[in-house]
Amino acid sequence: MPDMHLTQEEEKIYDGELGWAYQISMRILVKLGDLFGADRLIPIESAHISGVSYKTIGDAPIDFLEAIADSGGRTKVSSTVNPSGFDLGYLEEMKIPQGVREKQQRIIDLYERMGVNPVLTCTPYYLERPRRGSHLAWAESSAVVYANSILGSWTNREGGPSALAAALIGKTPNYGVHQPENRKADILVKVEPKMENEMEFGALGIYLGKILGDKVPVFDGLPSRGETGLKQLGAALASSGMTSIFHRCERCDERLEKITVERNDVEKMIDDLSTASEPPNMVFIGCPHCSLSEVRAIAEIIKGRRVRDGVRLWVCTSRHVRAKAGNYVDIIEAAGGHVLCDTCAVVTWIREMGVEAMMTNSAKTAYYAPTLSRVNAILAPLRECINTACRS
Amino acid sequence: METHLRGRPIVSGRVRGVALVSRKPLSFLGGIDPETGTIMERDHDLKGQTVKGRILCFPHGHGSTVGSYVLYSLVKRGVGPKAIVNVTADPVVVVGAVIAGVPVVDKIDLEQIRSGDVVEVDGNSGIVKRCQTCT
Repeated sequence: MPDMHLTQEEEKIYDGELGWAYQISMRILVKLGDLFGADRLIPIESAHISGVSYKTIGDAPIDFLEAIADSGGRTKVSSTVNPSGFDLGYLEEMKIPQGVREKQQRIIDLYERMGVNPVLTCTPYYLERPRRGSHLAWAESSAVVYANSILGSWTNREGGPSALAAALIGKTPNYGVHQPENRKADILVKVEPKMENEMEFGALGIYLGKILGDKVPVFDGLPSRGETGLKQLGAALASSGMTSIFHRCERCDERLEKITVERNDVEKMIDDLSTASEPPNMVFIGCPHCSLSEVRAIAEIIKGRRVRDGVRLWVCTSRHVRAKAGNYVDIIEAAGGHVLCDTCAVVTWIREMGVEAMMTNSAKTAYYAPTLSRVNAILAPLRECINTACRS
Repeated sequence: METHLRGRPIVSGRVRGVALVSRKPLSFLGGIDPETGTIMERDHDLKGQTVKGRILCFPHGHGSTVGSYVLYSLVKRGVGPKAIVNVTADPVVVVGAVIAGVPVVDKIDLEQIRSGDVVEVDGNSGIVKRCQTCT
């Protein structure tokens, strides 16, 4: 029997009265709650589920997702999913084999049958911004840090299966950062240099993720505005480390344990993440997926220019943002770039497309590309990325 | 002779089988072939061995949460482990075992179990029995 308190209704689900899909979901949540010391389940506003791209997950989840969908499992709260292996509008550019295409489509169809909104993005907060103080069950680590740190919502770093279970039940066990005492900062990070652009924020995040462990950082010396930079910082912190929340301070508590980051630390990290020695034949912007203002910024830099022959320029965003960015998309595509949705360069087969080296403004992408895609990266700020992609 | 090891019950169920013991963490995604149950994780001390029908003992899981689905698929295809014994059960293994119905006990000193031992795992009481003459 569970240690945590269940309501009568929750107990019925636990005992299987609503069928297998809900019973197994409830058992997942209760088991995790018991393991991490939750006392009860709490309602969530939304769920965001990872485990979608066929490149990263392969065939493994299909059996389970099919069993859930077949036994009538349907989501109880607004639910979205992470990017998939391709954009249907760019199959030729992406060189996706037929068999892979069918399997990817099957995974997406299964989520859709469960009532998940098939918007395939890692930035669900650009679709629907969660309310400040609302509890969520989100599985994409960059979105988790963004939600906790910038939006003021509350979510643990869920895995694919636990986020799905929470979506079906509409609740999550209240452990981890659902409890106020676990959100408190316990290390003060003094950032000496001024972060000049979003790329530097990302490099700072990779550097700190490796040394923070499970400590909650509070930053002294970061600007309070500029969500793009903070998005890069959070995505990077979560990639190299365990972070799920960070804070910023103006009048900082000097009694906390303290570390100082110097310009040299950030510059060395940029060098370490830039593993490619050859010129890039891909330039990728959109990890995490671009906001409308990022797509606009790219359009403003690239307007009237032309992407070099032999270089791919990919701008990745959500279907939702792309639809709102009509004019900017036209400008980028007229220059020879591609604005893709539903996917990104990390979760598709770029090596198989002939990409040997990639330039990106995302430290998270540079961190993962050599292992997940066997492609070396060069980390550079947005303007330099676009200048490199273009002839003049 | 029997040895009783007292651990923490994580996922219920009681089974007996032959132990397969590793000193290294194991990633189900990428570390085990979901078709055959053969361990293929790079530099792993159990590389090339199968988890099929074994009491799989390892310190803890690591890697992607998709690993939970791999455990489910292994069991569904009849090539999964009979039970899992960990030093520290992690969410990936626990969730996978819940959906696959595989008993799990943790907080067990794996120095006390060798590959080939016949062991009985009780996921209700948290007791792992090692027995030379069990029938």
